[in-house]
Amino acid sequence: MELLLQQIANGLSLGMAYALVALGLTLVFGVLHVVNFAHGEFYMLGALVTVLVVKSLGLPYIVALLIAIVLVSAVAWVMDIVAVSPVARKPGGDQIVLVSTYAAGLIIVETVLAAIGPTPIAVSGFSGIVHFGSVVLTMHRVFMFAAGIVMICGLYMLFTRTNFGRSLRAVAQSDYAAKVVGIDVERIKTLTFVLAGGIAGLAGGLIAPIITFNATMGLHAGIHAFVVVVIGSMGSIPGAVVCGLSLGMIESVLSIFLGQHVAATLIYSLLLVTLFVRPQGLFQGALR
Amino acid sequence: MKTYKKLVAGALLASALVSQAVAQEAVKLGVIFPTRTIIGEQAVHGAELAAKQINDAGGILDGRMVELIVYDSNFSAVDGVSAAQRLLTQDGVKYILGEISSTVAFAVIPVVESEEALAMLAMPKHPDVTNSGYENVFRLNSTSQIDAASFGKYLTETVKPEKVAVLVQNDDIGLTSLEQMKQLFGEKVVFSDIFDVKQADFSALATNVRASGADLVCVTAANPEQSGGVFRSMADVGYSPKRCLLPGYLNNDLPDVAGAAAEGVFSQDVYIDTIDSELNNTFVKEYLAAQGKVPGKPEVLGFETVWIVAKAIDAAGSYDDVSKVAKVIRDTQWESPRGKLRFNEIGQALTEKLYNTVVKDGRVVRAD
Repeated sequence: MELLLQQIANGLSLGMAYALVALGLTLVFGVLHVVNFAHGEFYMLGALVTVLVVKSLGLPYIVALLIAIVLVSAVAWVMDIVAVSPVARKPGGDQIVLVSTYAAGLIIVETVLAAIGPTPIAVSGFSGIVHFGSVVLTMHRVFMFAAGIVMICGLYMLFTRTNFGRSLRAVAQSDYAAKVVGIDVERIKTLTFVLAGGIAGLAGGLIAPIITFNATMGLHAGIHAFVVVVIGSMGSIPGAVVCGLSLGMIESVLSIFLGQHVAATLIYSLLLVTLFVRPQGLFQGALR
Repeated sequence: MKTYKKLVAGALLASALVSQAVAQEAVKLGVIFPTRTIIGEQAVHGAELAAKQINDAGGILDGRMVELIVYDSNFSAVDGVSAAQRLLTQDGVKYILGEISSTVAFAVIPVVESEEALAMLAMPKHPDVTNSGYENVFRLNSTSQIDAASFGKYLTETVKPEKVAVLVQNDDIGLTSLEQMKQLFGEKVVFSDIFDVKQADFSALATNVRASGADLVCVTAANPEQSGGVFRSMADVGYSPKRCLLPGYLNNDLPDVAGAAAEGVFSQDVYIDTIDSELNNTFVKEYLAAQGKVPGKPEVLGFETVWIVAKAIDAAGSYDDVSKVAKVIRDTQWESPRGKLRFNEIGQALTEKLYNTVVKDGRVVRAD
């Protein structure tokens, strides 16, 4: 029982990491109706900025997180200008964006590899251990989970209580209808892309102390995020959160019985099953 | 007649210039490693240092410089074969040096054989890498069998664990080491698991291994992100048994990544930077000056690939006569930063010993 509880706690922590990376990806799909193949690289950049700010500038971790959000948002803004908006407007642009963002992601990875090299860089977050009865978690995992909850609540408030959120949901439903009621659709899309970049940057910064930064970490995280987003319905924020947490728990708990590699493989099997049984995902239309 | 003389003079001058150009043409050596990984980058740095030392000393074959052409094999058989083919057919290279993965090596060897070239493999550990039947294949690293014999003896006679857990990455090296540990310890292996080579979160794995109650946890992971992640996660759940890494994978990147969680992790290796010899002292000093940190095994094996092949080409007096170069490699006792080494009849490098190593005060040092 103690082992099971510990693995559930591990799974919630792992699942929150999945959800944090998946959130921005699903947001971009929900509003822009495109898949951002460079999303994992935003996450990697968030981790990189956090690591560099803490280790090179000696600034506190929390400050590094804020800088990561700002800088990665700026990178996302540039990418939107260069590789998303001009492409997405063209006929069939939603498919071409797959390639343009993939290319942009490769440029980011190769640039980071050329500048930093493949050496992994560890950074410390919040130190210490927290005991919940027999369950043990590091302070940083608890912080990451709490920060994830705060961010999800913040996004909910943003979407439901602000003009930007209402405009965003309108664009998610229909570009044409949003334009008819006077919404600047292109601006909303750009802001959404920048917001998604910022979320990914925060996710990278939050997760960096747990897994160690390396320049190719975005690829693997991006694949997991796609799995979460597809199962949870592309474009669904609740889907990304619920599925991220669920998949993390399933992976951790099943590792007790099946071993680590089989449990991880099962996640991809769930993706296939979902595509066969409910191709639209489990939370279709939740953003709208 | 005057015009004829001018033409002859011009032709002779051109011929002399061409001859000089040929004489000065660099000796090209092809290098393949997964260059975007830390271990691959380290090995390339070692290879580059060897080329620099040889060139600084005047080059080989009467003053020709050694030029390395480096391609990324990306831990992929497809990419490795592509890189080897490009080197052999487009770049005109006859010597393929480097590589880490046995899987890539198995795929590359037939390509090398088809072009009648020579392969000096750095780090693949699978015993069969030098059993292809093609005589121009050499391997510098110790094999998993050599490691198992040496490390197994150390574990059973010195460490003497009661319960053993084995955690390995999901590739040929990991799975081979898992089988060897099971053969060595039998029922004493109370827990084993396999993780993906790109896995980043090891909390679930650490929890499961803690529950096993093992007093020795042995990990096989090529990258310090993985081994460091495993040891950090074990420390996070308050579990601190004796911990070891498969021979060859413990270097100073582990304490950099895992911090205090790496303290006490032990292993064995063919190389440790504190070996006191003139060649090693120069190697360490120059590597430190170039890269800002002391070299480990990947660096020294990368160094040896270029060092031995270039010197063998020089001794054979020919770049193109690959068989003659191979014979020189096989017949010579080589001096390397790790000591003296010789190749056996199947091309396997035989070293004098494996060193016991341990992480102490944030640095890998000799344990004995």
